[in-house]
Amino acid sequence: MKIERWNPSVKVAAILAAVILLSLQYLVSLNLLVFGSALLLLFFFSDAKPKSVAAILIPALIAAFGLFVTGLYYARGGSVTDAKLSSVSSVPYAVRAAMSRNLYTAAQLATRLLAYAGLGILFALTTDGEFFLQSLMHQCRLPPKFAYGLLAAFHLMPVMAREYRVVRTAFAVRGVRAGPLALKPMFTMLVNSVRWSECVAMAMESKGFCAGAKRTYYSVPRVHWYDWAGAGALVGGILLGMLFLRY
Amino acid sequence: MAREEIALRMEDVVFRYQENGKRNILDHVTLDVMAGTLTVLMGGSGCGKSTLAAVAAGLYPENGGCLLSGEIRLFGRPLGELDQQQRASYLSVMFQNADLQFCMDTLRRELRFCMENLCVPPREMDERLRRAAETMGAAELLDRKLYTLSGGEKQRAALTCLYVLGSRCVVLDECFANIDPDAVRSLLPMLRAMKREGRTVVAIDHRADLWLDDADEIILLKSGAQTAARGVTRANLPQYRAMFGELGLVYPGSCPREAAPLPRGESALTFRGVCIRAGAAQRRGRRDGPEPPLLLEHADAEFPRGCMTAVLGASGSGKTTAFLAALGRHPYTGTIEINGADLRTIRRKALCRQVGIVFQNPGNQFITQNVTEEIRASLRIWNGGLDDAQLAQRTQALLDGFQLGGCRRYSPYMLSQGQQRRLAVLSVLCGGQKLLLLDEPTYGQDERSAMAILRQLRQKVEREGLTVVFITHDRALAAAWADKLYLLRDRRFAELSPEEALT
Repeated sequence: MKIERWNPSVKVAAILAAVILLSLQYLVSLNLLVFGSALLLLFFFSDAKPKSVAAILIPALIAAFGLFVTGLYYARGGSVTDAKLSSVSSVPYAVRAAMSRNLYTAAQLATRLLAYAGLGILFALTTDGEFFLQSLMHQCRLPPKFAYGLLAAFHLMPVMAREYRVVRTAFAVRGVRAGPLALKPMFTMLVNSVRWSECVAMAMESKGFCAGAKRTYYSVPRVHWYDWAGAGALVGGILLGMLFLRY
Repeated sequence: MAREEIALRMEDVVFRYQENGKRNILDHVTLDVMAGTLTVLMGGSGCGKSTLAAVAAGLYPENGGCLLSGEIRLFGRPLGELDQQQRASYLSVMFQNADLQFCMDTLRRELRFCMENLCVPPREMDERLRRAAETMGAAELLDRKLYTLSGGEKQRAALTCLYVLGSRCVVLDECFANIDPDAVRSLLPMLRAMKREGRTVVAIDHRADLWLDDADEIILLKSGAQTAARGVTRANLPQYRAMFGELGLVYPGSCPREAAPLPRGESALTFRGVCIRAGAAQRRGRRDGPEPPLLLEHADAEFPRGCMTAVLGASGSGKTTAFLAALGRHPYTGTIEINGADLRTIRRKALCRQVGIVFQNPGNQFITQNVTEEIRASLRIWNGGLDDAQLAQRTQALLDGFQLGGCRRYSPYMLSQGQQRRLAVLSVLCGGQKLLLLDEPTYGQDERSAMAILRQLRQKVEREGLTVVFITHDRALAAAWADKLYLLRDRRFAELSPEEALT
C-alpha cells in the first residue's frame, strides 16, 4: 500500500487539519513524532526519491536551525542577558543559554517547522498533479474548465523553460547583460506565454472541450475506507499526542 | 459515399479582428468543400487562410474578432446551432505550432481527454485508443512525454488526436510548415488513411508540391481569403502558373535561382573535428543517467566569408545546437574557428561583436517595447560614444533601410512575423557584426516574406560583405539563395550542390 494511492482530496484535507492542530500545541515530542513518521512513510511507503526528499529537507533543516538559534538567544522573557544569569560570569555563554528556559522555546519553534516541512513534503512528493486535479473535480466539484486549464498550463512548463533559455541566450548575444533573476527575459517569456495560452485554449476547444458540457471520465477517483482510515490515523494520532504527551 | 454532400459551406462571410477596423480579414468569402475529398487551400501570407480555418471551426469569433455577416454550415447544419462539443465531431483543426496543441503530458492521456470531451463511454476508450494508435502508427508514442517528441512526432500525435475524435472533417492549418520533408512524407499516409475512411481533409498550405498527388482539388485564395481559382489539379496546373506568381506562391517544381553565386571568400566560420552532444547546456555537468546522444561527430565545415550558406537537415539533427556551439553557448570538443581565431580564445563580448544570431521566434530577442527604442538600445550597447542626435539619425536610417520606418512607434510584438524578423536582424547587426546566423528564416511566414528578408540580406552580403549562415527545411529556398549548401546527416556536414538539394 503506497501513499500515492491515498485519495488526494482526503489527503490534503487530513494534512491541513493536521497542520492546524499542530499550530495549537507546543509539544516538542509530538512535533518530532510527526516529522519522523512523515519521513518513515516517505522512505518506506512511497515512491518518492530520497534525493528529492533531501532537496526540500536540507533548506528546511537550515531554516529550523536558524529558528532554533534565534529562539535560543532572543526569545522574550528569560533572555540570556538576564541579570540573574549574567552575574554567574564563570559560566560560558553557551551553557548559560542552554540553562535558560529558552532552550525549550527554541526547540518548540524549530521542531514545529520540521513537522510542517515533513507534512508538506509528504503531500508534495506523493501526489500526482493529474490525479489530484481529477480528485478535486470529483470529490470537491472543481469545474473541469479550471482543472484542465491548470493541467495545460502545467504541461506548458517545459516549453516555457526551453524558451526561457533561448531568450537568455538571445539577450546575451545582443550584448545585454541579464543576471540570473533579471526581469527582462522573464517579461519576454511571459509575453510569449500569453499568446501560447490562447493557442492551447483554441486547440483544446477544437478537440471538443467545452466548459459547460457533459463529459465522461476514463477513471474517476473514489474515496475508499482506507482513505478515511489514513486521515483518521493522522488527525487522531495528533489529537492523542496532544492529550497524552507532556513535553 | 455521398460525394455530393457539402462538408463546409461558407456564404458571404465577413470577419475582422477589430469591429472598428478598416480591413476585413475575411472579405465576403463564399466557399464550399465537398465531403470526402482532400482539398488544399493555398494563399500567400496574410491572405486570411488561417483565420478562415478558425472561423470555420467556430474558434473565432468566440476567442476574438467579430463576424459581421455571413453563414457557415457544417454538413448542412448552421454552425451557430452547435456547441463546441458537437462542432468537434463535425470539424476540428490542427495547428501549426506543434508545441501548443496538447493539454496533457502524454499522448495516451491526451487521447483520453479528447474522448472524454465527446462523452465516449469509459469502457470503450481503451479499444478506440488502441485502434487509433494502430491506424496512425503512433503506438510507440503513446507513453512518451509529449515535450520530448520531435516536431514531426508531435504532429503525428496531434493527427492521432484528430483521428480519435472522429471528426468528419479535419482542417490542417499549415501544420507541415516547420517539419522536415521526411517527417512530412510519413504524415501523408495518415491523411490518406483518414480520407479512405470517408473523412474530409482540408489542408491549408502555401506549398503545392506536397499535395499534388493526393489533392482532389486545390483552391487558390487571394487577399481577404476570396477564391481566386478552384478546381486546380495536377492535370490543369500549367494554366494557373501566372496566378501562382501573382499570389506570391511558389509554382511547384520551379526553382528560379535568385542570385548569382558569389565568389567564396576564405572561411569565416570553421568547424574542425567538432563533437557536440544533445541536451541543455546547463544540465551537462550531471553525472547521473546515460550520456546524451551525439549530434555532431568529428564534423568539419567551412562557411565562406561574404557568402550565404544554407544548412539543411532533419529536425532534431543538431543544426541549432551547432549554432549555439559557435556562439560559445553549448559545450563541444574539437575546434571552432571564427575568422581564423580559435573560439576558445575569443572573449564573450568580443565574440558577440562578431557574430549575431536570429532565432526561430524573433519575439524572443526584443529587449524593449518599442521599435525605435529597440534599435537605439542596440546601437547604444555597441557604440559607446554616440550622442542622442547621432543615435536618432542612425536609428532612422537603419529602420528606413529595412522598410520598417512606418512602424516606428509600434511595440515589436505588434509587428507581423516578417517585420519582426527584419527588426531582429537589424537589431542584431547594430554592432557591425559580420557573421549572421539565421535559424529558420521561413518559420511562421510564407515564401514571399521570407524572400523579402533574404533579398535584403543578400544586398547586405553583396554590398557590405556580410556572411550569412541560415538553417532551413526548405530545400528550394536553400537552392535558390545559398552560395554553398550543407546537409547535416549522420552527424556530419555533407556539402551539396543546389541540384542535389532539390532531388
